[in-house]
Amino acid sequence: MAATITPYRSGQQAGHDGFAQVLRAEWTKFRTMRSWVIVMLAAAAATALAPIALAGTAKSNDPMTCVHGQCQVESSNVATGPDGEAVTDSFYFVHQPLAGNGSLTVAISSLRGSGPPLRKRHLPPWAPQTQPWAKAGILVKAGTTPGSPYAAILVTPGHGVRMQYDFTHDIAGPAAQVSAASPRWLRLTRAGDTLTGYSSADGRHWTKVGTVDLAGLPATVQAGLFVASPDYAVDTQSFGGGDQGASTPTQATAMFGSVTRRGDWPAGAWAGGHVGPLEVPLKVDGHCGGSSCGNTPQQPGRFTRSGGTFTVTGSGDIAPFVPIVDPLQVTLYGTLFGAIAIIALGAVYITGEYRRGLIRTTLAASPRRARVLAAKAIVIGSVSFVAGLAGAAVAFVFAQRKLTALGWTPPVWHDWALTSQIGVRVVLGTAALLAMTALLALAAGGILRRSAGAIAAVIGLVVVPLVLAVILPTAPATWLLRYTPAAAFSLQTSTLRYSQVNTACIPYHGCYPLAPWTGFAVMCAWVVLALGVAGYLLHRRDA
Amino acid sequence: MRHALHAEWTKLRTAPGTASLLAASIVLTAGASALAAAIVKCPGSCTADTTKLSLTGVMLGQATVATLAVLAMSSEYGTGMIRVTLAAMPRRPALLAAKAAVLTGVVLAAGAIAVGTSLLAGRFLEPGNGFTARHGFTPLSLADGPTLRAAAGSVLYLALIALFSLGAATALRDSAAAITVVLGLLYIFPVLGDVVLNPAWQHRIARWAPMNAGLAIQATRNLGTLPIGPWAGLGVLAAWAAVAMLAGGVLLRLRDA
Repeated sequence: MAATITPYRSGQQAGHDGFAQVLRAEWTKFRTMRSWVIVMLAAAAATALAPIALAGTAKSNDPMTCVHGQCQVESSNVATGPDGEAVTDSFYFVHQPLAGNGSLTVAISSLRGSGPPLRKRHLPPWAPQTQPWAKAGILVKAGTTPGSPYAAILVTPGHGVRMQYDFTHDIAGPAAQVSAASPRWLRLTRAGDTLTGYSSADGRHWTKVGTVDLAGLPATVQAGLFVASPDYAVDTQSFGGGDQGASTPTQATAMFGSVTRRGDWPAGAWAGGHVGPLEVPLKVDGHCGGSSCGNTPQQPGRFTRSGGTFTVTGSGDIAPFVPIVDPLQVTLYGTLFGAIAIIALGAVYITGEYRRGLIRTTLAASPRRARVLAAKAIVIGSVSFVAGLAGAAVAFVFAQRKLTALGWTPPVWHDWALTSQIGVRVVLGTAALLAMTALLALAAGGILRRSAGAIAAVIGLVVVPLVLAVILPTAPATWLLRYTPAAAFSLQTSTLRYSQVNTACIPYHGCYPLAPWTGFAVMCAWVVLALGVAGYLLHRRDA
Repeated sequence: MRHALHAEWTKLRTAPGTASLLAASIVLTAGASALAAAIVKCPGSCTADTTKLSLTGVMLGQATVATLAVLAMSSEYGTGMIRVTLAAMPRRPALLAAKAAVLTGVVLAAGAIAVGTSLLAGRFLEPGNGFTARHGFTPLSLADGPTLRAAAGSVLYLALIALFSLGAATALRDSAAAITVVLGLLYIFPVLGDVVLNPAWQHRIARWAPMNAGLAIQATRNLGTLPIGPWAGLGVLAAWAAVAMLAGGVLLRLRDA
């Protein structure tokens, strides 16, 4: 009788090789390397502390604020708008009081700029006669105090008909050009707090451009015709650092016909005058300020009336004020210290396995290689995100507090709360930027398998473009910040930019060509590409 | 010492990455320099420093030089080779000196090729972009004193970067840590130096940060307005390299390998 032999069975339960197990294995690898954890904590600390330290070096010598030894007058023509924001409110206004509801209709048959006045030697020869954002139209304003609430329907030489209100708001209307042959008809009506703008090509068929609510508008407002022409500003950077910039006031003249009033206009007669202080311009060259710079000051406008036609000349702008300097962004460049530590960790997280030979064990335990890379990406990405989030939140709050104490105060510079739109974008953005940087380093490590090469390559892609962007001329510098992963640093900017304000945007002044999340998308594209190549090579090559 | 030099030369020559890293540093330096010379134009009046412009690539090429120098030391620790090396060559300062000498020689040779090619590219490309006699520019030439100083200085700059990296790698032993520290110190300060708002801090960074100070050697125009003179700037970088080498040498002597 043959004995039955029971085969040996291990008491161990069969292991699972699901993704959760791979993820847990990768997390254990990270967690148990004491030096990696220390470096990650150091990266969080550097992200938090470097901006706070940098904020201490940001001195604002108001009223002139200087960066790179270049200054910008901030006080002579800046008013505070209805929402507490800094605004430019300077234009020629032909107005009279309007009591209660009513409307004003005009036909504009001409709008032409007279160009930068007088001394043109600081300006390049291509300075245009007419500013694309010169404005002529109908304005209803709470009063003639700069910064008071308003609504306007207007035409521009370069951007068609617009309805604008309270400085920051801009609604696009028909893309019409005005000429004597085809005048543009505009109408603005007031009904309570509601103002409605209309536009027409012939004065008979009207289309509505926009309806806005101006809560708290007084019963009697100033209504009439206005002309504004913003400063012509040019700024380019040249090789070796430094920029050549100039800014000068301009003028525009518009002809208004068929002026028709409806409603109660108690004064009955038109009065003309420049609203706001006349700007004393500054040539941006760092050595002079105010009127000593040699530019002509802003010219006051004028108006003439012959029959039913008004010819109005004006200068200035009704728009939000956009400062050149962004002190918060300057301090947040301190997060580069954290970014470089995270680049090293991201690379070593995979190259370390090649150096020790651990990669063979890893791949034996989890033969589906793409999963290993995915698990590594999730672990290092999440850890970097959390470290960046903690660091950036601390940096944002304390650096901002320090900047405010040093004189970077509203209305020109905002005191953003952590929960404000800008606060959330900057803090989340910095964390996401660091997470993506770690992934780029991980992918580079997977491709090159050597720490030193991978780290140098990623620093070359993420940090070096920032170095080059301030020393190359405008075109290549802008190109770098558009197509390299460094584009994502636009997430750290806090200056609000408006499409209706023409601001010189050069990398030298920390301006990024792409919008914040678009810049981040560029970096994500790099990461996806690099991880794809790393995954493919991991699959194809022997370990 | 002759044997030490021979051993180090053999190691560097036969290491798998050396040739490609040297080639990469030449291509990166000359390529980026030529690209800069090709795209930077002089539309009307301009004051660009054409010598400095044609040497822009050094800023990129130094990263590969630093990688090469770091690997020359830290790969010995990575593979355990250092124990064999030290058994064969118990006089540790001599070992470090031999490594430094071989590395310097190699980097000087590669740097001379890279810088020479860069200048040649600038000489031929820049006049086509408006840097002509009409705007007050002469084609780059080594017969011009400041240009010769900038060119020779740039080669020395690369050699000093190599020594700085070698010292850091000797002190830190780990290639990842060493390259991170070296490239962090090189590249973060130029970014901060251009953005910090306080002129006093701008001035300090321009004078004392290794890359900002060292690259002052490339300036040939407006020398009076530089935050630090060309040779003094290179001297600052030399001091960084000396401190790194000294720290590396002391630690190499004191520690077990």
